[in-house]
Amino acid sequence: MFKWFGKVNYTPYTKVSDFARYLKDGQLMASRCKSCGSTSFPPRADCLECMSGDFEFFELSGKATLDTYTKIVAAPTGFEDVVPYIVGVVDLEEGGKALAWFGDSIYEDEIEIGMELQIVPQIFDESEEIKVYYSLEQPGTTWSKASGVST
Amino acid sequence: MTRVGIVGIGHGVFGRRSDATVQELAFEAFRDAIKDAGIDRDAIDASVIGAVPEYHKQRSMAGVVQEYLGLVPKPTWLTEVACASGSAAMRTAWMSIKAGVHNVVAVIGCQKMTELETAEILALMGRVGEVQWESGFGTTFPGYYAMFAKRHMHEFGTTRDQLTEVAIKNHHYGAMNPYALFRKEITKEKAAASEEVATPFQVYDCCANADGAACVILASEGRAKEMTDKPVWLDGMGVATASMSVLRRPSLVGLPSAEKAASDAYSMAGVLPVDVKVADVHDCFTIAEIMAIEDLGFCKKGEGGPMVAEHQTYIGGKVAVNVDGGLKAKGHPIGATGVSMTYEIAKQLRGEAGDRQVPDADIGLTHNVGGIGQYCFVQVMKRD
Amino acid sequence: MDLGLEGKNAIVTGGSVGIGSAIALGLAREGCNVAINYRRHDTEANEVVRQIEAMGRKGLAVKADVSSYDDAQNMVKTVVETFGRLDIMVCNAGINWDGVIWKMSEEQWDTVINVNLKGYFNYNKAAAQVMKDQKGGKIVNISSINGMRGKFAQVNYSASKGGEIAMSKSLARELGKFNVNVNAVAPGMVMTEMAESIPPEFLTKAMDETALGRFATPEECADIVAFLCSDRARHITGEVIKIDGGQYM
Repeated sequence: MFKWFGKVNYTPYTKVSDFARYLKDGQLMASRCKSCGSTSFPPRADCLECMSGDFEFFELSGKATLDTYTKIVAAPTGFEDVVPYIVGVVDLEEGGKALAWFGDSIYEDEIEIGMELQIVPQIFDESEEIKVYYSLEQPGTTWSKASGVST
Repeated sequence: MTRVGIVGIGHGVFGRRSDATVQELAFEAFRDAIKDAGIDRDAIDASVIGAVPEYHKQRSMAGVVQEYLGLVPKPTWLTEVACASGSAAMRTAWMSIKAGVHNVVAVIGCQKMTELETAEILALMGRVGEVQWESGFGTTFPGYYAMFAKRHMHEFGTTRDQLTEVAIKNHHYGAMNPYALFRKEITKEKAAASEEVATPFQVYDCCANADGAACVILASEGRAKEMTDKPVWLDGMGVATASMSVLRRPSLVGLPSAEKAASDAYSMAGVLPVDVKVADVHDCFTIAEIMAIEDLGFCKKGEGGPMVAEHQTYIGGKVAVNVDGGLKAKGHPIGATGVSMTYEIAKQLRGEAGDRQVPDADIGLTHNVGGIGQYCFVQVMKRD
Repeated sequence: MDLGLEGKNAIVTGGSVGIGSAIALGLAREGCNVAINYRRHDTEANEVVRQIEAMGRKGLAVKADVSSYDDAQNMVKTVVETFGRLDIMVCNAGINWDGVIWKMSEEQWDTVINVNLKGYFNYNKAAAQVMKDQKGGKIVNISSINGMRGKFAQVNYSASKGGEIAMSKSLARELGKFNVNVNAVAPGMVMTEMAESIPPEFLTKAMDETALGRFATPEECADIVAFLCSDRARHITGEVIKIDGGQYM
């Protein structure tokens, strides 16, 4: 059910669709190639190294460091109701990068490139459809305690 | 293999062109170029159209342009690599001449950005990034470059004022370009007072969409020498890609595609960055020009901000950059931009740029980026 | 059948007497710590807590008016602080004040709606806030078959009971993605004190309606509630389960 992923989703069908199901249950998953062991986040069904299509998910710690960020004020279709929002790119402890919103646990003026962050799975609570995403939170924030988007 | 020369150039006025269809815009530039080349339309073997199709109501628009230009039944095709579509048209035309398939090819970059409703534009804007893992968070075109800017500022101490310097310079030259969308100077105060778009960007850090067209006619070495006594040669043609997703890029302070395209173009042309007198670079945002002059080797990585602040990119500086106003002041009809850049550099190398003329311009360069750096085309151009 | 409710924390409104006390004791028997609220029956409430504690669970009695929004918020807060979290919310507290509509006063309508319908809103909301954040929980709302079929001289009561069913279904939709199940149980006639005020001829008529020829006991109601509060019922949500011996089919 990859259509659950993102406030707006453009790719409902993918070979890594279980990613969204794990996310709904609080797990942030990356992919690992069963043939050569190389890992990827965002997950890939097809190994970039050895080209094998045999992969498995494994859970990430969610520990990350802020690479860069911006506060988006002029928003595209589908994001009018949450604007402005702060988007960050982080380097994951286990390798790979993620792009996500800053969540409620961090004030805008605390944001600093290089800061330690925790990626936390999230469920949009005001949407009738199931929609999941992840947010950047203070280290130590757990899945069950975080909710909402920082604006 | 044959060299490929530019034998004719044409350019229309960039702006909100609610007076014309896209093929009518293309015609303006094409007619100019034919006249400039002093050739008959029948001399053209084929055309290549650079445009981004999703902005136009007309599907597969190369056909309608070809018909309106009166080039039927000659071959035509469309090239699309986002904002670098015009350079992709240049490259495929160049390839076809290099390969000996065609002798004379018209390259037309044309785009009407204003055919779409605002709502359609906003919807397209939401799909500029990698849509599976990034667009779901509402990323935008300015948003990505804003993140590059934040990182650049963090790593190298690039400042808000240095970003503004780029805009001030480009508006300064835009004011002197009759084809530019914005033909007036701006001040630091005016830029600082403009609306926020995505931190640290304000409106004056962003280029503006525009309608417009440009045309360049290319010919094989032999034909070029017959047709004109002032050919401009496409001697270094580099193109490279970077990952669509910013999450797959090792660094966010430059475009790896630009570095690779530039080094390939330099070595093909046998020139060094210091040899370049005039360059048109892809300043879709102010930071993009700073990253471009670094990626192109005009200065070291991280020194772009100071280079701009010291006015080393004005005419009379180390290298004149975007002295036609750039995307920032000239406007950015995305399919036309790469061809418009080629037009400007050809004009400079011919010594016909009037009060914007860079003295002794013998080697010039264009740097045209598609998307957020997924594609980059660099052309090194020389005069005889 | 082990329902796996050992160590779960529950609130049962109106838990001092009748169906409510049976549910509270039933959940305690399955291993839950149970907090009840009550309005009038101090002695009975303390007795229920004593029995819960006698089973080795934690018990808590809170005097609270279910029609008070603030009381509901405070009670849930107290329970979360005392027990650590809230896994189960059973809304049961209700009243009736019957009369045909042309004799029903505005006060009669308002009083029943305030206790029954608004009272369920108050506790459903307070529980939803907690369960949404903890990504899990069970809500069971005790309605009535009269909320499904209507009943002579009960426009207020049946409207409130029908409203509770609709509330449960809406809330099931809102909380599904947070792994919270919301269901309604609709008893027919149950042998409680509340039923003792009903004239004998009505009781006979009700008895005749049943297929099983008897009324439910409060404990039988408690059994279905305990099941719905368990992981065994994890795929049931937005459902209304009648427990009426076939009284309304």
